Amino acid sequence: MVRPTRFEITEQARGETLVLSITGELDLSTVPQLARRVEEKLAGKLTTLTLDLAELTFMDSSGLRLLIELDRRARQESWTLTLIPSKHESANTVLRLTGANTALPFEASAP
Amino acid sequence: MEADLSEAMSDAARRGGREREQLVRELRAALRGSEQRFEAIVGSLTDPVTIRDREHRFLYANRAALAYLGFESWEALRETPPAAIMDDYIVQGEDGRELAMDDIPSVRILRGEHAEPLLIRTVRRDTGVQRWNLLKAAPLRAEDGAVEATIMIIEDVTERRRTELRSAYLAQASAALASSLDYEQTLRNVAELAVPDIADWCAVDLADADGDRQTVAVAHVDPERLSLAEALRSYLPDRLDPDRGLGLVLRTGEALRYPEITDEMLLQSAIDERHLDLLRALGFRSVLIVPMRIGDRTLGAMTLVSAEAGCTLDELDLELAEQIAARAAVAIENSRLYSERSSIARTLQQSLLPDRLPEIPDYELASVYLPAIQTSMVGGDFYDVWPVGESWMMVIGDVTGKGIEAASLTALVRHTVRTASEFEQSPARLLAFVDKTLRSRPTLSVCTALCLRLQDDRATLAVGGHPLPLYMTEHGGVVELGGHGPLLGAFDDVRWQDFTVRLDAGSTLLAYTDGFTDARDEHGDRFGLPRLCATLGELGAQPAGALAVSLARKLEEFQAGAHADDTAALVLRRLTGGDNPVQSSPSQATIAAPA
Repeated sequence: MVRPTRFEITEQARGETLVLSITGELDLSTVPQLARRVEEKLAGKLTTLTLDLAELTFMDSSGLRLLIELDRRARQESWTLTLIPSKHESANTVLRLTGANTALPFEASAP
Repeated sequence: MEADLSEAMSDAARRGGREREQLVRELRAALRGSEQRFEAIVGSLTDPVTIRDREHRFLYANRAALAYLGFESWEALRETPPAAIMDDYIVQGEDGRELAMDDIPSVRILRGEHAEPLLIRTVRRDTGVQRWNLLKAAPLRAEDGAVEATIMIIEDVTERRRTELRSAYLAQASAALASSLDYEQTLRNVAELAVPDIADWCAVDLADADGDRQTVAVAHVDPERLSLAEALRSYLPDRLDPDRGLGLVLRTGEALRYPEITDEMLLQSAIDERHLDLLRALGFRSVLIVPMRIGDRTLGAMTLVSAEAGCTLDELDLELAEQIAARAAVAIENSRLYSERSSIARTLQQSLLPDRLPEIPDYELASVYLPAIQTSMVGGDFYDVWPVGESWMMVIGDVTGKGIEAASLTALVRHTVRTASEFEQSPARLLAFVDKTLRSRPTLSVCTALCLRLQDDRATLAVGGHPLPLYMTEHGGVVELGGHGPLLGAFDDVRWQDFTVRLDAGSTLLAYTDGFTDARDEHGDRFGLPRLCATLGELGAQPAGALAVSLARKLEEFQAGAHADDTAALVLRRLTGGDNPVQSSPSQATIAAPA
C-alpha cells in the first residue's frame, strides 16, 4: 500500500498571535486539512496568524496556491499573515521556482 | 391474597422479560389452587396464555389467546386439532426457515428437552397478517415430578421486531447506497437487501426524461422464481400506461399501496395471456410501488411485492420503502452527476490539448499526457504548439486548481497566449500579458507557464513559476535551460526574462509539468528533478516519440498507484543533418545548478 503523506499541524498561541506549525508534506492530499484548520481559526477573532513551515519537508503547487490565497485574504480582511520558511530545500523549491519566496510574507530570512 | 397475586401478575405482564418467568412459576402455584382464582388472574392478561396436555390438546386458553388464534369461543378452540391451527399459518424462525410443530417450545418440553424462548414470525395464510411472537413455555408437573402439561405465553413482539428489522435494513441499505458510484450495482444491492425481511421480491426501475422505464434490478427471496420475476419485468413495455401501477407512480411521483391483490386485479392488469401466466405463477398478495424522487423529478420507482403466501404490506412497510427510495434517488443523482462530470471533464480535457501536434521542419515533436486519478477532475495541465510566421510557439503550463473552473482558466490562458503571439514576439512579454489577464479576474487565478519561440536552431524561452526545461545533448548530457520567473496571476510588480539558446543537431529539449517531479513512490519518496535528469540521460538520444513513451513508462513504474496529479511533457528533438534518428550510447547525466 501507498504510505500516506506525513502531515501534522500543531497549534500554539503566542500572545495575540496564533501559530500553526506544520510538519511533513503539503501537497494535493494534505492541503485540504490545512485549509480547513485555517478556516476554523479565521472563524474566530484572529489578528495575526503565523504559519511555521520550518519542519515542512515538501510543498507542491497546490500548497503554494493555498499560501497565495491566504496572503490575499489577509490583505483584504485586515489581519496579518506571517510565514516562517522551511529548513528543507525540498519544500522551498516551489517557492523559489515561482517567485513566491520574495512575494509572500516570509519572516526574516526568506528561503 | 388473590388480589395481590393478580396485581403482581398484571404488573409482571407489563414489564415482561425476567418477570414473566416469575409469573410462570407463580402460575404453577396458582394452578394448584382453585381454577377460579387462576382464571381471574390469567384471564385478564393481555398476552395470550395457553395450557396444553401431553397430547398437545388445549386445556386452557385465556381470552387473549382465543382472539390471537382467531376463535370465537373456548369450545371452538377445544374442538380444533392443534395441527389444523398451525396449518392456518406460515410459521418461520428468525432466519426465515419454516418451523414445524416439533420446534415449538411447549412440544420440546414434552419431549423432555430444555426449551429456550423462541422468536417466530407467523403469517396467517388467509389474511396475510404478519406477526412476530416470542414463545415462552414452562412445564407443569404432577406431584411425582412428571410433566403433566405445558403452559405457554405468546408475547407479541411484532412492533419491536419490525422496528429492529427496519432500522437494520435502513442502515444496511444506506451503507450500500453510499458505497459506490455505480448506481446500477448499488440498486441491485438495495433490492437484494429488501428480501426477505421487507418483501418476497423487489424490482427497481429507472425512468428517463421521456417517461420510458427500464428495469435495473430484480431480487427474489426464492432463487428459483427469480427468473420468473425477471421474465415478468422484461415483459413490461418500456412505455407504461401512465394512469395505473408503475406508470402512474412514475408520472405522478406518488407512492401506491395495494394491500390485497386479487386474481381479478391480475386479470385486469395483464397485457395478454402470457403476462397473466407470469403474474399468476409469481403470486401476488400485496404490492408497494414507491417513487425514487429528487424534488419534482421522479428518477424511477421501487416495487416491493409479497408473494401469495407472504404478508400484507402495511403503512409501516410503505414508510420504510419510501425512505429507502428517497435515499436511492440521492445515490442515483450523485452517481449521474458524477458520470456527467467525468464525461464533461474528458471532453473539456480533450479540447484543452491540441488534437495533434504540428510537424516542425528539422524537428521531431512528441507529447506525454497522464491525467490525474480522479476522472471527474479536469486536469490543470496543458500544452500547445502553433506556427507564427516563420517561427513556432510552444507553451506548456499548469493551472493550479481543479475542475471546471480550472478548465475554463486553462482555455483562457491558451487562447490568450495564442492571440497575443500574433503581435508579440517575446515569450517574456507574452507571459506578462497572460499575467495581466489573470490578475484582472475577480477570483484568484494563477498559472505556471513555460513559453518558447523556436526559429531555426534558436529557442527563446521565458518561464513563469514553471519547472525549467531540460536540454539533453546528443551524447546524453542533461542541463536545465533558462531561469526562473514568477508565477502568473499571483504577485504585484514582477517581471519575466527571455533566454535564448541554440539547439544543436541531435539534442533534445524536454518541457514538463511538476506532475513528473512531484510523483510519489510507495515509500513516499518523490521522483524529483535529479531522478528526472538521470532518467533522461539514461534513456539518451532517441526519437522523440520513443523517448516520450519511455519517460511515461519510467514514471508509472516509479509511481505507486495512479497519478495524484496531472502530468504533461513535450519532447522536442532537433534532427541531425542526415535526417536520420540517432542512436547514441547513454552517458551519465549532468545536472546544471538552477539559474
